[in-house]
Amino acid sequence: MEYYLLIARSVTQAQRMARLLEGCGIRAWMFRAPAALSNRGCSYAVRVRAQQWDAAHDCLRRSDLQPLGIYHGDGNRYREVSW
Amino acid sequence: MIYFDAAATTLEKPVLVRRAMASAVHTMSSPGRGGHPAARLAEETAYRCRTAAAALFGVGSPEQVVFTCSATHGLNIAIHSLVTPGSRVIISGYEHNAVTRTLHAIRGIRLTVIDTPLFRPDLSAAAFEDAVARGADAVICNHVSNVFGSIQPLEQIAESCRRHGVPLIVDASQSAGVLPVRMDRLGAAFIALPGHKGLYGPQGTGLLLCGRDAQPLLFGGTGSASRLQDMPEALPDRLETGTHNMPGIAGLLEGIRFVMQKDLESIRAHEQQLTAQMADQLHRLPAVHALISEEPACQAGVLSFWTEDRDCEELGESLARRGVAVRAGLHCAPLAHRTAGTLEKGTVRVSFSAFNTFRQVQVFKETLEQILREKVTF
Repeated sequence: MEYYLLIARSVTQAQRMARLLEGCGIRAWMFRAPAALSNRGCSYAVRVRAQQWDAAHDCLRRSDLQPLGIYHGDGNRYREVSW
Repeated sequence: MIYFDAAATTLEKPVLVRRAMASAVHTMSSPGRGGHPAARLAEETAYRCRTAAAALFGVGSPEQVVFTCSATHGLNIAIHSLVTPGSRVIISGYEHNAVTRTLHAIRGIRLTVIDTPLFRPDLSAAAFEDAVARGADAVICNHVSNVFGSIQPLEQIAESCRRHGVPLIVDASQSAGVLPVRMDRLGAAFIALPGHKGLYGPQGTGLLLCGRDAQPLLFGGTGSASRLQDMPEALPDRLETGTHNMPGIAGLLEGIRFVMQKDLESIRAHEQQLTAQMADQLHRLPAVHALISEEPACQAGVLSFWTEDRDCEELGESLARRGVAVRAGLHCAPLAHRTAGTLEKGTVRVSFSAFNTFRQVQVFKETLEQILREKVTF
């Protein structure tokens, strides 16, 4: 399954992002970010299904929340995408 | 025991505060430190507490709500973020040592003290406006005096600060949970408040509401950006290092919910009525001098008194022996006593919470009357 990972600056920002997305009707899961994507070390991520990415992107754009990084995942590898 | 020392700590707490704390001890670990259920529950509780506080205090984002261990801790962060050696700082004449000692420790500060008389918000607002117009690096002001309960004209002071571009630090130790304190209305740089007074949380909790970037006071682990040796830039992690006080935060969350459910207006009205009743009772006692505002809107549920022939500490001890808890002395606020002219003798302070009753005020008066009739045995 394809998905997008939003890397947060803090667990609090991840919680805000997840709640905001849920409020926009988008399923979002918060969890510890994979170490491979935490180049600053230890962070949280919010996962969104690829089918809902456009809506998630719009939802986040309307807020003041900007993720530290965004990655596309397909189960095998991650690819960084631009905001 | 009749407990009239809420200005120090509210002793009676909502039952849910105690339950939440007891549960947190064995169900929560640390927020931001793992994906397991104990960490997730801690994260969820901390987030709910930030969100509840943001709603109560008009803060735009929960990230701006920083957990501290006390208002003093928050004031230290705020002051050290804005004040450096040589800074020009304006304070009210009713500040606590949490402000004055922190400033004293920074060298070469040029300090202006607005020492207008008690219960004169009109004079205070005008004096702050004059001083702020002359320029300053920071204004620090408590909302309510912890000694006298006098309410500062905070909105007017904040307006002066905004107009002249001077950052404002608010010490809301005595007003949080009693009077409206709104970051969105004040536009303050920082608002520091304790969790264990008017918010009915446990000791060891506090909040710093941040309207701007702040400098960390403590350095260490945050559970985020661990490779970096600088503290993270983002709030709240920038100011929250080490393991969180999760039993405290869980209790504070329930305390904030209690205040929101009970409503600020009803808490304020109740304390105002208790203050009026206490003022009336004290006025009936000869040789007792109560410092009370003729205008109830100028005073919160805190008042001080002194007697002509009794040492205030002795009186406090006598009351304690008869089951009445008050606070005597200088209340960690010598500047406030100096401004009000009570520095040499100190005062006895009574302060109320939502749990105090009118019957308790009556018993207090009778107890005090009895003590004043007796010979000094201290």
